[in-house]
Amino acid sequence: MEIEAARGGGGGGGSGRGAYLVWEDLSVVLPNFSNKGPTKRLLNGLSGFAEPGRIMAIMGPSGSGKSTLLDTLAGRLSRNVVMTGSILFNGKKKRLAYGAVAYVTQEDVLLGTLTVRETITYSAHLRLPSSLTREEIKSIVEGTIMEMGLLDCADRSIEALLVMEEQLFSSVHQPSSEVFALFDDLFLLSGGETVYFGEAKTAVDFFAETGVPCPSRRNPSDHFLRCINSDFDIVTATLKGSQRIRDVPTSSDPLMNLATAEIKARLVEKYRRSKYAHRAKARMQEISAIEEHVNEIKSGSQASWWKQLSTLLRRSSLNMSRDVGYYWLRICIYIVVSICVGTIYFDVGTGYTAIFARAACGGFITGFMTFMSIGGFPSFIEEMKVFYRERLNGYYGVSVFIISNYLSSLPFLAAITLSTGTITYYLVKFRTFRTGFSHYVYFSLNIFLCISVIESLMMVVASLVPNFLMGIITGAGIMGILMMTSGFFRLLPDLPKPFWRYPISFLSYGSWSIQGAYKNDYLGLEFDPMIPGDPRLSGEYVVTNTFGIPIDHSKWWDLAAIVAILVSYRVLFFLILKFKESASPLFQTLYAKRTLHHLDKRASFKKKPSFPSNRHQPLHSLSSQEGLNSPLN
Amino acid sequence: MTERSTGRNPAADNAVMEIESSKPSGNGLVAGLSPLSETLWRETTSVEIIGDVSARLTWKDLTVMVTLSNGETQTVLEGLTGYAEPGSFTALMGPSGSGKSTLLDALSSRLASNAFLSGSVLLNGRKRKLSFGTAAYVTQDDNLIGTLTVRETISYSARLRLPDKMGRPEKRALVERTIIEMGLQDCADTVIGNWHLRGISGGEKRRVSIAVEILMRPRLLFLDEPTSGLDSASAFFVTQTLRALSRDGRTVIASIHQPSSEVFELFDQLYLLSGGKTVYFGQASEAYEFFSQAGFPCPALRNPSDHFLRCVNSDFDKVKATLKGSMKLRFEESNDPLEKITTAEAIRVLIDSYRSSQYCYAAREKVEQISKVKGNVLDSGGSQASFLMQAFTLTKRSFVNMSRDFGYYWLRLVIYIVVTVCIGTIYLNIGTGYSSILARGSCASFVFGFVTFMSIGGFPSFVEDMKVFQRERLNGHYGVTAFVLSNTFSAMPFLILITFLAGTVCYFMVGLHPGFEHYIFFVLCLYASVTVVESLMMAIASVVPNFLMGIIIGAGIQGIFMLVSGYFRLPNDIPKPVWRYPMSYISFHFWALQGQYQNDLAGLLFDNQTPDQFKIPGEYILENVFQIDTSRSKWIDLSVIFSMIVAYRIIFFIMIKFSEDVTPWIRGYMARRRLQQKNGIQNITVAPDGLTQSPSLRTYATGKKLTR
Repeated sequence: MEIEAARGGGGGGGSGRGAYLVWEDLSVVLPNFSNKGPTKRLLNGLSGFAEPGRIMAIMGPSGSGKSTLLDTLAGRLSRNVVMTGSILFNGKKKRLAYGAVAYVTQEDVLLGTLTVRETITYSAHLRLPSSLTREEIKSIVEGTIMEMGLLDCADRSIEALLVMEEQLFSSVHQPSSEVFALFDDLFLLSGGETVYFGEAKTAVDFFAETGVPCPSRRNPSDHFLRCINSDFDIVTATLKGSQRIRDVPTSSDPLMNLATAEIKARLVEKYRRSKYAHRAKARMQEISAIEEHVNEIKSGSQASWWKQLSTLLRRSSLNMSRDVGYYWLRICIYIVVSICVGTIYFDVGTGYTAIFARAACGGFITGFMTFMSIGGFPSFIEEMKVFYRERLNGYYGVSVFIISNYLSSLPFLAAITLSTGTITYYLVKFRTFRTGFSHYVYFSLNIFLCISVIESLMMVVASLVPNFLMGIITGAGIMGILMMTSGFFRLLPDLPKPFWRYPISFLSYGSWSIQGAYKNDYLGLEFDPMIPGDPRLSGEYVVTNTFGIPIDHSKWWDLAAIVAILVSYRVLFFLILKFKESASPLFQTLYAKRTLHHLDKRASFKKKPSFPSNRHQPLHSLSSQEGLNSPLN
Repeated sequence: MTERSTGRNPAADNAVMEIESSKPSGNGLVAGLSPLSETLWRETTSVEIIGDVSARLTWKDLTVMVTLSNGETQTVLEGLTGYAEPGSFTALMGPSGSGKSTLLDALSSRLASNAFLSGSVLLNGRKRKLSFGTAAYVTQDDNLIGTLTVRETISYSARLRLPDKMGRPEKRALVERTIIEMGLQDCADTVIGNWHLRGISGGEKRRVSIAVEILMRPRLLFLDEPTSGLDSASAFFVTQTLRALSRDGRTVIASIHQPSSEVFELFDQLYLLSGGKTVYFGQASEAYEFFSQAGFPCPALRNPSDHFLRCVNSDFDKVKATLKGSMKLRFEESNDPLEKITTAEAIRVLIDSYRSSQYCYAAREKVEQISKVKGNVLDSGGSQASFLMQAFTLTKRSFVNMSRDFGYYWLRLVIYIVVTVCIGTIYLNIGTGYSSILARGSCASFVFGFVTFMSIGGFPSFVEDMKVFQRERLNGHYGVTAFVLSNTFSAMPFLILITFLAGTVCYFMVGLHPGFEHYIFFVLCLYASVTVVESLMMAIASVVPNFLMGIIIGAGIQGIFMLVSGYFRLPNDIPKPVWRYPMSYISFHFWALQGQYQNDLAGLLFDNQTPDQFKIPGEYILENVFQIDTSRSKWIDLSVIFSMIVAYRIIFFIMIKFSEDVTPWIRGYMARRRLQQKNGIQNITVAPDGLTQSPSLRTYATGKKLTR
């Protein structure tokens, strides 16, 4: 096949050393512990093989088990199913590690702002060995684009592509004839059973031999799917029920008279005894014998840590700078709101009412304005999705992701801080320009840290609640509570001691930020008294008596406390991601044991045909709905 | 199939004949026309005897030009001629960007206002705009209410549109018949499903969309890509149903992207387009011959429809060029003529051979023949239910939806209670100490500032509602007024429940000013404020349809309102221009705080800084500390908030009306001027002041898809 030649040349792998994959008697069961429902067999005793340099199409109607088979081969089964049978990789029983296979899922989780070429280039940089030169990488990239272009233009319904070193699997729903002609091998599935496995070209003969020849005016792949898609039985039944069938053209369709379930059963039975099955079995044994191709399974990513970091950093920055909704929109809003705040508190002065006005201004900035950081949440969720996919494919580690994300967001956070801080500080005129520069720096640092903390908090939330709406609501709720205990709405000494004062107000970045901000703002100033003629009020008096804030530690310690909170949020985020990864295989093992134990007690499986896999009815997250994917389209 | 070449469709003939024969009897059943349709048609046509109610659509030399924003014009359709008859199912096919959707829009009078149409589109020989109801238009996106079951969806729609005179059992029978007709009996009691609710499949959803549109028994049915996104069995089912609908004497026209062979076999007529030009129009079954005659026979073991599309899709040229460039494709020696010439050439050959073919000739003759016969004017004028019936049904439907959608109000109820419990514990038993003065102020501002802020949480659900509204509005199911009223009434019980529960928790835990009247004021004020936020978000939703932008803009506006409410900055200190006048008076927070401060402080005595000093009366604090205007009664403040609710609802109403009527007119006017400046063409019919939201329009407006 032409594709293989190009790949071999680019990838540096000779055509002889490839990955042979054999699977034997593969069954996947979705157990049902509540004894009400039947146990579902997703795959039922499948055997097959894949050779390097050939493209195999896995075809079948929806719910036939295509995706389950691909998941099984890629070692990606969800943990609520149990697998039996063996998968031999180069003749060895081997669980595929992250990265030995690349798996393109049907959901197309890609960063929307990058072009195709950029996406592929970045992932190449992330995964290919550092020893390759830029030119080599570029040629691989171009090769991949060609390949994908070829498949993409012809038909868009290719759902999942499993690229295994040099062999290509593709699970297809309804290929056009052009696309079908590109496949070498065909694995035809229905209801988890093998209907046909062998060369794609001979499939037509097999169907003819079984008594359901492909009509000349029909595309073979359409015909195969039509024969084994038991949904058509339901359609026919319903149509008959509504008496709509009276006008069906019967001319070219022998199938209308025969139930598909019947045809399918006949095909499955016939295949088992056919020469194609024998041929496949023979070849499988041959391949299993070839043990000399022991190919070192390459670990997920061959690029060095630094290389990964710099590539991710560049990609992430590019994405952030192109996605208007990620930071640009927020910068605009911050500037607008800052101007509003600045003009409302314009030249606040040191009158008696200025005491409260200054406090309210500070409270509004650290409270409400940091709140707006929620606006970047949808974009972050998108990035997390990409991360999960790439992590599963073993592109890079968790720490690289977190560090690169933070570093690439720094310039934007700095821009937000600078614009907000400068506009508000100098419009409100907290201090005069000359004397107050260090106060201005503190003020800006404070804003910067608050926004960073909120960002980190939202990341933690994002890693815990996968749903977009829940994330925003949870985030807003937490922020509301932090705001309430920050000492602005209720003075710190007045907060009820149990719970709200200890520990919540100590864990809240807001209380530290407000303490620091008050000290920064009031200390060293004098204010007019309530009744003219009384002695002027000193800043120290206002901070300690009016706001009840102790001035025993410096404002910089308050800042340090926020930094500590920031770091702990990031660490928490890291731990959650790590825990999620390491916990899932553990659960899987426990689950499998329990299931097998349970299955021993049961005599047989109640079979339920055509179980729809989760993949085809994804629970759409709200963000994937219209208008959310790219917030500004 | 041979009798078709005489130009008459047997099924349609039968239907027509039966209609003719039933004429004299008057109240006898008309074949192909349910008794209901009969009543419906009788209701609206002034003609005594129901004549032929079938729809014959012809279009001749149809050309559509679109002006892009830079003043360039682009011909999207070029000289199309064709017809659609009762009892037949016509499929529009072509590669993406070939003009399928534009043709559908042009035929159904839904062209964008920057599109110009020349040539004639005649319905029953008469030139007239297709109004709502005569023709039904089913769009690609199924905007349905996710929490309703299939049966509920259809029956609410029936009650919204069927005449009031019709009895309930009759309506129910009609709904049941439609369900069976569309093959939905198995899933009739399953919910449609939304982002958190698992419901019916995509194919079933599509059939529900069609079912809703055929409830009024339209004679003409347009469908934009009814099979897109469906698996083969569902696509087959949908197409089979469409064919069945056409067999009842209806005229069905659908654009279909990539039909499988089973689906293709169900087409009667095929209109194949490429680059806006006719490649073939005629019997679907004869297209095979046409392609052979033109020199592009369909190879064996290939779907004819795949082959046709392959021949006319010029994108394949690009693919080939790319592949050649990368030396990936060894061109296999084959006798496929397509490998020898480019697709662009093939398209040219096909268009030329169609022009000189018998199919083209027959089509033109048929168009002449049909357009000579002046048939009946078909116009059923959208919904026939009275305004009250519409408003009542909508309210009921909206209420059911709100009570089932967890994210709409229930989630908010939970959050409100959690938040108010937090507030309650933080300000627990606030008392009348010196520090409680400020605490009461900040408590009120937190409640009216941040708690109402959380009403934004219902925005996503409301946006979903808006989508359904827009679809139904476009199809003339009901008016804007009915929608606004129903939304107001259906939300009321939930808002009252939420605010009364949350308000009660807050009031008694904090221990605000004792007295029943004070309690009622507090809760009412909270209710009014939350409703204002809802109405504000509604008004925003009508301007920015995008969900995220809506939330951001809503949050920004509320932030500014809060800032000028008199808490963050005392009323007298707020800079006079802009912020004090008018902003603080527009802000509902301002009125809420003015009222609530009076409600809470007036009549109480507070401790002074030291116990030996005199007690401070609340009125003193109101005037000197919070700078509240005590000359105005708190009830006036409350009524201002209530009038804001009305104001925002009216703004919402005006915005929708504006975008429906004025915007398209302006856009059409601008486009016409640009066109005249450019090349001074005079004799162009501008698309009627149709509707802007038809799905294929946006691509033209931005000119993205067509830059080839």
